Amino acid sequence: MAALAPLCALASSRFPQPQFDSGYVAEKVAYPMPSFVVTPMMDVLLLVAALCVAVFLVRQVRSRRWILFFGMVCLGWFGFVRQGCFCPIGTIQNVALALFSGVRLPLAIALFFAAPLIFALFYGRVFCSVVCPLGALQEFFIVKPLHVPRALDAVLRVIPLIVLTVGVVCAINGAGFIICRTDPFVGLFRQSAALPMLLTGMGVLLVGTVVARPYCRYFCPYGVLLEICSRISWKQVELTPKECINCRLCVGMCPIDAIDAPRTALSDRVRGRQFRQFLSLLVFLPLIILGGAGVGYLAGAGVAQLHPGVSLVSKWQGATEADEDLFPEIEAFKHVGGTLTQAEAQALEIIDRFQKGCMISGVFIGLILGLRLLVLSKLQGSQVHQANRYRCVACGRCFAVCPNQ
Amino acid sequence: MKDNQGKKLTRRDAVAWLLRGGTAAVIAGIVAKVSARPSGDRLVWQIDPRKCIQCGRCETACVLQHTAVRCVHGIEMCGYCKLCFGYFKPDAPRLDEAAENQICPTGALVRKFVEPPYFEYVVDKELCTGCGLCVKGCTNFGNGSLYLQVCHDICVNCNTCRISEVCPSGAFVQVPESEAYLLKEKLPRT
Repeated sequence: MAALAPLCALASSRFPQPQFDSGYVAEKVAYPMPSFVVTPMMDVLLLVAALCVAVFLVRQVRSRRWILFFGMVCLGWFGFVRQGCFCPIGTIQNVALALFSGVRLPLAIALFFAAPLIFALFYGRVFCSVVCPLGALQEFFIVKPLHVPRALDAVLRVIPLIVLTVGVVCAINGAGFIICRTDPFVGLFRQSAALPMLLTGMGVLLVGTVVARPYCRYFCPYGVLLEICSRISWKQVELTPKECINCRLCVGMCPIDAIDAPRTALSDRVRGRQFRQFLSLLVFLPLIILGGAGVGYLAGAGVAQLHPGVSLVSKWQGATEADEDLFPEIEAFKHVGGTLTQAEAQALEIIDRFQKGCMISGVFIGLILGLRLLVLSKLQGSQVHQANRYRCVACGRCFAVCPNQ
Repeated sequence: MKDNQGKKLTRRDAVAWLLRGGTAAVIAGIVAKVSARPSGDRLVWQIDPRKCIQCGRCETACVLQHTAVRCVHGIEMCGYCKLCFGYFKPDAPRLDEAAENQICPTGALVRKFVEPPYFEYVVDKELCTGCGLCVKGCTNFGNGSLYLQVCHDICVNCNTCRISEVCPSGAFVQVPESEAYLLKEKLPRT
């Protein structure tokens, strides 16, 4: 059969179309057009409107109940009606691809990417609170949040950086959209998915009962960008509109440890030590960045395996002549006249690009980690309890417990 | 920050506003650089039937449980053969509609008698699983009138199509919404 195929492929119409005597006429086949719930710009408008409502609820209404109710609305609309695509998290890749390949994006997608970041610049991570369907879904599954030890938290918070950079490197170099593939909940929103995806989604929700919002805190790549923007935000979540009495009720209530305790005035000795620590870290910063670059370069070849062109070669090199038929990739590559040597040359080029990309990623990760360390030794602090600018996702639990509302 | 309200701008505030403005400018710059594609037409996923090698991954890779890919029949190309290579197994005991003779695992390809010696073949979209077995037979030995397409009443149009990521021949392409199908009978031959 396989031997015949190329012979036959030459003829495009081997059997002539018949003339019918019985007056038979073929039925017209209908090709249904894509139907979208709303136009793209409408989508953007709804997102911006939802963000505005979230800001209003967090800053003016200050009611946990209303925030939860609005979370349900957003989960219903952005999650189950719009089925989670596209979302700002995924558009990171579209934007990165467009930036580096020159293929232009529809304005709506670019705005979807930008709107939550701009809001974060002014009001912090209001997008995460309930507008993001992934965040809203996890919000409803928080049952008994446990305190994650600081050291473990610091280590886990490296994961989003890796996801973001690897996602961008893969998107730019044609290895697909990894960030979309690792979205655990999109299958739940569509109520139809492969079993592993559904199980991962449910697993994340299960973990989320004791570790609040695990995806947001320890995986979400968009969270990295939101964190950067919200660190310099204009306003932040206010625990109380009046005066904080340092009763610590909110600290116990916050599921994600996002409330900073007040700092007592530092003695001169401690200030001096902090300052020396800061200086030595400053000296080490280039080393951290260099280290990141090195690790990134070494990891590049491994990450490149995500690219179909590279995995093709690994399969092809490991396959015997008889095995080759088992891999459609090899068949398809041969189909257009490609040979193993060509595939290998292509793969080397791709690996080279990945190594460069991962090296730059390493620099970025090193820089962020270094800055996170530097910020630890800051001298000024608030006299009262305050919501942490970049961790707080404005879920509103603290409003509900604060006695001084 | 609270203490500063009503007072004039402190140095700290000024630096913060500079940072904010700078970040906003960067975001706006990115938006301006990547957007403004000439046509605002949405893109949808489709299979280029000229590149498809019928590997069968469309059936299983789609994020939907019952894939959005279906076999469609370009009836203008069909030869109405009595012995259809897309319908009958190569080793079919008899050339009739009995299940053991059919390639299609779900009986989605329906064979109807027209007039001697011609038979019409119609795809039942509800039953088709997009496995491409009939397409393989028809493409290799027949007129190639059966081919796979993404059906847009089913497709949820993911940001990135999961099938496109595993398609071995790069047959998945994004086409403008207004021309959502790549019908083989209307495409220029390559």
